[in-house]
Amino acid sequence: MGMMSPRIPRFPVDAKYGVSYLEGIVRGYRNGLLTGANYTNLTQCETIDDLKLQLGPAYGDFLASLPPNPSTSSLAAKTTDKLVAEFRYVRANAVGSLAKFMDYLTYGYMIDNVALLITGTLHERDTRELLDRCHPLGWFETMPVLCVATNIEELYNSVLIETPLAPYFQGSLSHQDLDELNIEIVRNTLYKNYLEDFYQFVNSHPDMVGTPTAEVMSEILEFEADRRAINITLNSFGTELSKADRNKLYPTFGLLYPEGTLMLSRADDFEGVRLAVDGIADYKNFFEAAGLGGGSGPGNMAGGTGSDGKTLEDMFYQKEMEISKGAFTRQFTFAIVYAWVKLREQEIRNITWIAECIAQNQKERIGNYISVF
Amino acid sequence: MASQADYKDRQFLAVIGDEDSVTGLLLAGIGHVTAPPDSQKNFLVVDAKTDNATIEAVFEQFTTERKDIGIVLINQHIADRIRHRVDTYTAAFPALLEIPSKDHPYDPEKDSVLRRVRRLFGE
Amino acid sequence: MSGAADREAVFPTRQSLGLMKAKLKGAETGHSLLKRKSEALTKRFREITRRIDEAKRKMGRVMQIASLSLAEVTYAVGGNIGFQIQESARAARFRIRTKQENVSGVLLPTFESYLTEGNNDFAMTGLGKGGQQVQRCRDTYARAVEALVELASLQTAFVILDEVIKVVNRRVNAIEHVIIPRTENTIKYINSELDELDREEFYRLKKVAGKKLRDNAALDAEMKLKREEKAARELAEGQPEVQEDASGPSDLLAAEEDEDVIF
Repeated sequence: MGMMSPRIPRFPVDAKYGVSYLEGIVRGYRNGLLTGANYTNLTQCETIDDLKLQLGPAYGDFLASLPPNPSTSSLAAKTTDKLVAEFRYVRANAVGSLAKFMDYLTYGYMIDNVALLITGTLHERDTRELLDRCHPLGWFETMPVLCVATNIEELYNSVLIETPLAPYFQGSLSHQDLDELNIEIVRNTLYKNYLEDFYQFVNSHPDMVGTPTAEVMSEILEFEADRRAINITLNSFGTELSKADRNKLYPTFGLLYPEGTLMLSRADDFEGVRLAVDGIADYKNFFEAAGLGGGSGPGNMAGGTGSDGKTLEDMFYQKEMEISKGAFTRQFTFAIVYAWVKLREQEIRNITWIAECIAQNQKERIGNYISVF
Repeated sequence: MASQADYKDRQFLAVIGDEDSVTGLLLAGIGHVTAPPDSQKNFLVVDAKTDNATIEAVFEQFTTERKDIGIVLINQHIADRIRHRVDTYTAAFPALLEIPSKDHPYDPEKDSVLRRVRRLFGE
Repeated sequence: MSGAADREAVFPTRQSLGLMKAKLKGAETGHSLLKRKSEALTKRFREITRRIDEAKRKMGRVMQIASLSLAEVTYAVGGNIGFQIQESARAARFRIRTKQENVSGVLLPTFESYLTEGNNDFAMTGLGKGGQQVQRCRDTYARAVEALVELASLQTAFVILDEVIKVVNRRVNAIEHVIIPRTENTIKYINSELDELDREEFYRLKKVAGKKLRDNAALDAEMKLKREEKAARELAEGQPEVQEDASGPSDLLAAEEDEDVIF
């Protein structure tokens, strides 16, 4: 894995985007990501304390406040804190279109946070208590304002006025919809609109159009759009989500769009999905591997049995990491910020997974992490 | 001693646990909310902020007041917080089961039933 | 009760003696039946406690596997789904019913789990990401809960049997150490009293016979014949007549054994 270590010589100072300094910072962060050798060491740990010790060089201060043998969730929270601190640092120093780009990056997390507040408001919970549960990257200053809402219509109006998510609601979701639709339909509707908007942004902004940023981000977002369309289809089987409603959740771009998406909208089973993605070599391979490992579909992949076979989700994550890693081979692109965040999120997932396997005494599955360096 | 009528309506499980335990058990499908206006839940999520009085009240509700619960599951580390209450609970219905949680492996030495087993056989 | 020997307050009559003998027989039969019942229950009880011990230890592992499957969900979804799950729970899909099994006259309940059809509060959870893991986790936890339900059956049987065996053993002990000795004492007492009465009666009769002999020494031969016939008759009447009690023995077993304990 260590074959590629992009040493970008020197960045010309580019005051217009503020990229050069920040690009250096982000590449530094990327070089700090755990490598295959680091992971091998982590998997040798017998206790969470050992693990904490091994993570010392990479996470240092962030783990200092953890008690002896911390819970896996607190470990996950602390490692996330580091990502958040670094992200905020970069964001605070970003100007112009990079700042806007980074804001776009946060909207995905914001959607999850708003979905959480909608759920809380619908069930008349004290939504202020939910702020702790919100993802810090999806935090926005006016979020506490949303907690003042006592009913869904007030919340809806606050979201429209106070958040950048307003365009994702308008024209797609009414306040009655929030009341009546399954929260997953709300979330995925917003996410579809968000992905389309982000895609449009990187391909139309004058600072980005025709640059490596547009190129790399298009690849990343197209993959994300496809992944969601495939997942939504697979996960809708056996639920009350109709094909027509399902179709509304597919992003209108991506490698699968429009033919593959059309076939997805008609799919009734795993085989139907497999056929829909047959035209894209990567996805075709994923499905073949998943089909071999797990019988005829996700329904048959019941846990507890063979654990070594990679799931479709695993392969999607693997692909996402490879695209993210590839982004660093390009120069002068905002895409490395996006890629770095995704790589770090995977690292946190990996650490948490390894910690869980240690805590639950199931080291036979400890190798199911994804490392691309 | 329980009578016939006492158990036949007991079709639910109930749980007092940390968030992960409750989430997993709810995913299994044990979660139930009774009809409004009562809207009683058969689960309680306990975290660091939950006080012992709340745990005890819900324990009382699940084991004594409600007649539709057949099995009460409680994380062992939470049972420890109301140990006197758990240890003095000897009724057959609902059955009370101490279960491990993600961060607190199961310790047979603490289990009220296993301790009874040991006492009986003088181990 | 007075005296060193504990006995029942009865009049020492032949009727009482009959009653007591029947009672002793009943107590002995009851004792042997209850003792056998206790042994059968205890055997079952030991088997159950052994299985509880095993099942409780196995439970630790089962729950760890379930925990890891929830970790997989968190991994795949990319976040904690706890709140959403708690708020989505509506109607239990996983329920239990109770069946009964008769063990030596004790009805032991067994929980049995079943799934209600077409009812999944969390069907769409993880729709865009992680849904497959959510469904797998659901199945893994359902299997874990099945194991817990089995354990709950054992534990309930344990609690009930523990209680029943205590009651039965108390009865066995009461019969063995209280009822039987006391009945035996009572029988001894009645026998000794009756013996005493017999001796007194015999002495009285002897006296009566002697006095009459002296009083009527002068009577003539025909009178003598009559006298002898009369004396023989009186003697015959005084003979203790073994009297079987018509009211029947008190059935100790019936009195002591309650209805089967029903749960």
